[in-house]
Amino acid sequence: MLSPKRVKRRKTHKGKMRGKAYRGSKVSFGEYGLQALEASWITNRQIESARVAITRHVKRGGKVWIRIFPDKPVTKKPAETRMGKGKGNPEEWVAVVKPGRIMFELEGVPAETARRAMRLASFKLPVKTRFVVRESQL
Amino acid sequence: METTLNVQTRAESGKGAARRIRRAGRVPGVLYGGEAAPVLVSAEAMEAWRLFNAISVENTILHLVVDGGEPERALIREIQTHPFLPKLLHVDFLRIQRGKPIEVQVPISLQGVPDGVRTEGGVLDLVVHDLAVKCVPSKIPEVIALDVTAMKIGDVLRAGDLEMPEGVENLVDPARTICSVAPPRVMAEDEDEAEEGEFDVGLGAAPDVGESDEDAG
Repeated sequence: MLSPKRVKRRKTHKGKMRGKAYRGSKVSFGEYGLQALEASWITNRQIESARVAITRHVKRGGKVWIRIFPDKPVTKKPAETRMGKGKGNPEEWVAVVKPGRIMFELEGVPAETARRAMRLASFKLPVKTRFVVRESQL
Repeated sequence: METTLNVQTRAESGKGAARRIRRAGRVPGVLYGGEAAPVLVSAEAMEAWRLFNAISVENTILHLVVDGGEPERALIREIQTHPFLPKLLHVDFLRIQRGKPIEVQVPISLQGVPDGVRTEGGVLDLVVHDLAVKCVPSKIPEVIALDVTAMKIGDVLRAGDLEMPEGVENLVDPARTICSVAPPRVMAEDEDEAEEGEFDVGLGAAPDVGESDEDAG
């Protein structure tokens, strides 16, 4: 699963997810893309699960790009712990995704296969998504 | 390919004015280049949206009719769009002068199916989708057609291999890969299982950040 090799700070603030993804909102590498229509944290497990769904559907052939990287640590307090006593332990990595972000790209497969693969991937993600084609974007 | 778009000049600039123009169903833009001074313009948003979707925006010469006057020839230099809604935010038009070479992006169109894909199951990877070329406006090609039928697995087509139409100069580094045919990515059964296994083991495992932080500190 995706995670940073090393980080400068083990724990980060939650942050906000305001605004839209003005960067990374165009299909840049492949022919087809899966675009987020909502803001959310996407965990490295969800990313991996979506990637596996895509690669299994296209079987052989095709090239997949993952355009998001989970570089934000999320902490959790252990179960049945009283409040206080400092921030919890890092438990997972998430990518902050804003509406418009192209999360996955695909190339080298027919359009219908790409659409179905992206649909399967979208079921693994916590955001509403849209299938986009490079040709139709300005 | 040439086509016409009606635009009006606008007096106000800045984000407040631009937002008012967008709310009125128009899209702000700017026309610049050549000898004349830049002009702030606006166009009917729906008309522009339909037009831009019907043409190849990088290399189509537009006849811009500014305030109903004489048409000016221009290229679209940049289109800013909403990240996920079908909305134009801003358009840059570049005036072009007859006989003066300009730099444009021309889409690459792959012709045929490579041998390596048809017979050996390889994957055709198009690395460069648009080619930067320099030519006079009258010679701007609609597409650069690239015959890939003879390509086998491992073959690479570079920018230097492209045959350019007469009067069109290729601005891309000749060594740059345009497209290649990669070997098929075979997902073996064990690889598939390994992926699942890795996924299961990972559940609940804390990310390894502690040591790296200490290393950094």
